Amino acid sequence: MTMSVGVLLLTHEAMGGALITAARHVLGKLPLPLDVIEVEPGSDPDTTLRDATQRARSLDGGDGVLVLTDLYGATPCNVAQRLPGLGVHMHCVSGLNLPMLLRVLNYPEQKLDQLAQTAASGGRGGIFVDHA
Amino acid sequence: MLERDITVSNRLGLHARASAKLVQALQGFQANIFITYRGKEVNAKSIMGVMMLAAGLGAQLRLRADGPDEEAAMAAMVDLFERKFDEGQ
Repeated sequence: MTMSVGVLLLTHEAMGGALITAARHVLGKLPLPLDVIEVEPGSDPDTTLRDATQRARSLDGGDGVLVLTDLYGATPCNVAQRLPGLGVHMHCVSGLNLPMLLRVLNYPEQKLDQLAQTAASGGRGGIFVDHA
Repeated sequence: MLERDITVSNRLGLHARASAKLVQALQGFQANIFITYRGKEVNAKSIMGVMMLAAGLGAQLRLRADGPDEEAAMAAMVDLFERKFDEGQ
C-alpha cells in the first residue's frame, strides 16, 4: 500500500464537521485519513495546539499532514502555524471551503507539497458569480 | 480518439454526487477524457471541472476519450449517463 497524506480540518465551531458530512454525501467513501478539530469560542489555544499536535501525529502515515483551516489569521489557523515548530510535517492551506475539500479528496495519491497546491486551486476555482 | 454526444437525462443533472460518481468511474482509465458543454471543455476526471459545467437535465454534452483504453472509458461513461447515475429518475 502506498503512503498517503493525512488531512486535518482545523476550523471554527461547527464548520469542519459540516464540510466532512457534505463531502461524505457527495463522495460516499473518503479516500484519505481525515480528522477534524472545531475550536470552540473562548477555548485555550495551547490546549487546542496540544490536541492538534496529537491528532496530526496519528494522521501522519509518513507522508505528512495537510491542515485545512477556514480563515487565515484566525485562531485555528494561528494554531496550525505552530505545528511545524512541534515537529509536525505539514502544509497549512486556509480559506477552506467545500470545493477545496472535494478537490483534495479527488487526488488522494498526491504528495503533500502538490496536494497543498491542489487544495488552494480547488478553493479558488470553486468561486463563481452567477452562471459560470 | 472517440467522440460521442449525449443528453443528460437524470433529473438533477451533473450535480455534485453524479459528478463524483463519474470522476470515480473514470479514475482508473489511462485515456484522457473530456466533456464539452456550451463551448467549455473540462477534464472528466476532475470533480471541480465536471461540476463547473453546471449541466442540468437536458444538457447536450460532447464526450471525448483519447488513449489506449478509450473504448472502455467511453463505454463506462455512457453507461453511467444511461443509468441516470443510478439515481432512478
